[in-house]
Amino acid sequence: MRSAFPCLSRLAIVGVLLSVPSDPAVAQTSSAGKPTKAFVPPKTAWGEPDLQGLYTNKTITPLERPAQFANAAELTDEQIAELEGRAAARSVDNGRNKGTEADVSNAYNEFWWDRGKKVTTKRSSLIVDPPDGRVPALTPDAQRRAAEEYKQPIYRGGGANGRGADWTTDRSLFERCITRGLPGAMSPSAYNNTYRIVQSPGYVAIQIEMLGGTRVIPTTGGAHIGSSLREYMGDSRGRWDGNTLVVETTNFSNRTLYRGSSENMTLIEHFTVVEPNVLDYEFTIVDPTTFVKPWTASIPYLRTTDQLFEYACHEGNYGMEGILQGARAEEAKSAGETKQ
Amino acid sequence: MRRFIVAVVVSACSTAALEAHHAFAAEFDAKQPITLRGTVTRVEWINPHTWIHIDVKNADGTVVEWMIEGGTPNTLLRNGLDRKSLPAGTEIVVDGYRAKSGLNRANGRDIMLADGRKLFLGSSLTGAAGGETPADKKP
Repeated sequence: MRSAFPCLSRLAIVGVLLSVPSDPAVAQTSSAGKPTKAFVPPKTAWGEPDLQGLYTNKTITPLERPAQFANAAELTDEQIAELEGRAAARSVDNGRNKGTEADVSNAYNEFWWDRGKKVTTKRSSLIVDPPDGRVPALTPDAQRRAAEEYKQPIYRGGGANGRGADWTTDRSLFERCITRGLPGAMSPSAYNNTYRIVQSPGYVAIQIEMLGGTRVIPTTGGAHIGSSLREYMGDSRGRWDGNTLVVETTNFSNRTLYRGSSENMTLIEHFTVVEPNVLDYEFTIVDPTTFVKPWTASIPYLRTTDQLFEYACHEGNYGMEGILQGARAEEAKSAGETKQ
Repeated sequence: MRRFIVAVVVSACSTAALEAHHAFAAEFDAKQPITLRGTVTRVEWINPHTWIHIDVKNADGTVVEWMIEGGTPNTLLRNGLDRKSLPAGTEIVVDGYRAKSGLNRANGRDIMLADGRKLFLGSSLTGAAGGETPADKKP
């Protein structure tokens, strides 16, 4: 019988090794230190696990473990208090480092941001595998590709600074209001961290606030589209494994690269409601042409009473023209200085 | 009456990943910090970022229009502002950085009302349009 997930079957062993069960006890809403009863998530009227609702994934927990916690996968209560205190202090501290690039990059006072003020897990990083909480090293081939990125007709990376500003195509797709790709679109950002999940028999749809867009994922598997077809968000196929939605995405375009990944990336996502108000979202990146080993992050999605607002990013993206105009002005200034 | 309090600056030691929608340092010049006092003429309540238009009076009496880039409408709404919060005629002081292009544009790093009250309202992100999450309820 043909597997619904040809790639998954090849990766079965890897998947077992990588699978790090999310521990509901570490979720933010658990009463501190008390073991929680095994939670049984609700079912939809048609009998599938019910993931539906509005969620936010904003958090001050970083993707990668900071050097200061190099030997601590889990933070102490004191460390959490310190981190959250520091985040809260951003709202009352007026200590700007004026006249620096860092101050410009931060761009606005904290009022303009919505990146959360709390950790949403006791872990010191969102990455749960490898155990050091860091993105694995790039392969030599990936390092070569990164070094030659400037030769590409279109900038394919995700960095905000792109590869220059000769034209819009030198800027990232995020900056161009196009897409953050995957798993970028499912990861926390400085604002617009709201998601809406709705279901119908055989489908799960995920509406994404940042840059807009909705992923429509069949939950009955099926074969991926032909390999010649490439999409910014890839081709996602889902299936239920107990109470967990498992989604495998392939067929990525070579324009939506995540942290140097290639169009050969296979993304495996797990969605599990682990507490009444917490959905554990876990992604695993398998791309042997880019990373020396697969890696996995686990991001708590917390239910919210907020609304999901439209973010029609193309409405008035004056920032893009400002970036290009700024680059032209700097070139003119530089040319003038050379003549003198 | 709403209480205005000093709102802030980002600590360089933040461990949170900062992923804004675009590269501010490419648009605005760290070498050109600027302070502008002007009167709001209109607010473009648009994505991806709001733009506040102000008239700035020069010493010689001439008036120049400046455009000030602000936060995204979604975030402002969650923090208690809407398109009517800065009506035409409001006098504000903008502390930011001038655009590299040399045009009369700047980012609104900090914005203060003419009487010295800093924008914006409060530091609590809950209770406003932003709603609550279980994390907000954590003691």
